[in-house]
Amino acid sequence: MKEIIALSDKTITISRNAFLKVKGSIDTNVYYVESGSLRIFILHDYEEQIIRFGYQGNIIVAMDSFLTGKPSNFYIQALKKTTVRVIPKQRLDEFLATASNRKWWIQVLENLVLQQMEREIDLLTLSPRERYERVLQRSPQLFQEIPGKYIANYLRMSAETLSRLKKS
Amino acid sequence: MQSEQLIQSLIEQTRQIINRVEALKSYDLETLTWRAQEDAWSILECIEHLNRYGDDYLPSIERAIKASNTQAEQTFKSGFLGGYFAKSMLPKEKLNKMKTFNDKNPLHASLDRSVIDTFMHQQTQLLDLLNQSRTVSLNKVKIPTTFSSLIKMKLGDLFQFLVNHMLRHLAQIDRVKAMGLSSVG
Repeated sequence: MKEIIALSDKTITISRNAFLKVKGSIDTNVYYVESGSLRIFILHDYEEQIIRFGYQGNIIVAMDSFLTGKPSNFYIQALKKTTVRVIPKQRLDEFLATASNRKWWIQVLENLVLQQMEREIDLLTLSPRERYERVLQRSPQLFQEIPGKYIANYLRMSAETLSRLKKS
Repeated sequence: MQSEQLIQSLIEQTRQIINRVEALKSYDLETLTWRAQEDAWSILECIEHLNRYGDDYLPSIERAIKASNTQAEQTFKSGFLGGYFAKSMLPKEKLNKMKTFNDKNPLHASLDRSVIDTFMHQQTQLLDLLNQSRTVSLNKVKIPTTFSSLIKMKLGDLFQFLVNHMLRHLAQIDRVKAMGLSSVG
């Protein structure tokens, strides 16, 4: 991770609720979250659906744009005042020209595939309680970093249901 | 100019506009409705003025894109009038006042913070339309202006006009805010 952060060529600070990225932009940057927290979401008929969160120490990226260089429908918004280091894709590509770095990168991507599979199972799990427990077990820190109403949206349940599940 | 380059630049400018207006939400109503003099707009009135433009143009842009069977084109070339209108909107170093049309003048309209939410909603629509415009010609799709149905603007020029018009009034908002904050104390 340290090597990746060293590739960063600038730091951006955005205020609470400000957007790092909006729908339709091409954003191939990788962002390392130094402080604060963000959410990635899409809008469906003006309904928000949260895809992922990022907080201190995480990497956040519009993965579709990053991989394809094409426009992405994702919004990335700060949930509080947030500072990110910006790592341009080109710098990363140069870094990955070395075989040992590439090996590390494949591990990162494999890990991501596993995470996506867990998320897919989350989404296919019918019971709200089970969805909640899966995520709680996997990422307990999420519940420290992110306000409940956003986690509820991520878990596809109402804020009331989530707070009831947390109590029981 | 490359069409895709124009669309990306407009999307990026829209993102910055959204962030600037989002930041206004933290101010109290006294600041948001403060005016320098009887006939000067408050911050909310500036936003309402922009909303009225959005109310007029966003639906006609949507209709024009839906109805169009043009293809996307590599390059966009500004029209003579459209390019002029768009540029004339940009805020200048020296204050250049403009007259507004009566129906676009919100002076002393009864307004509350919800005008900011309406503005944000319109920006979501604008982003959607910018995305949709990737599949049509920014040159051939033309939209009648609200001041004369005889004068039409190329879609690419109209988008730039709307964005520049927002930048113009955001510069005004910055001035009103600075004056208001020092006088409200």
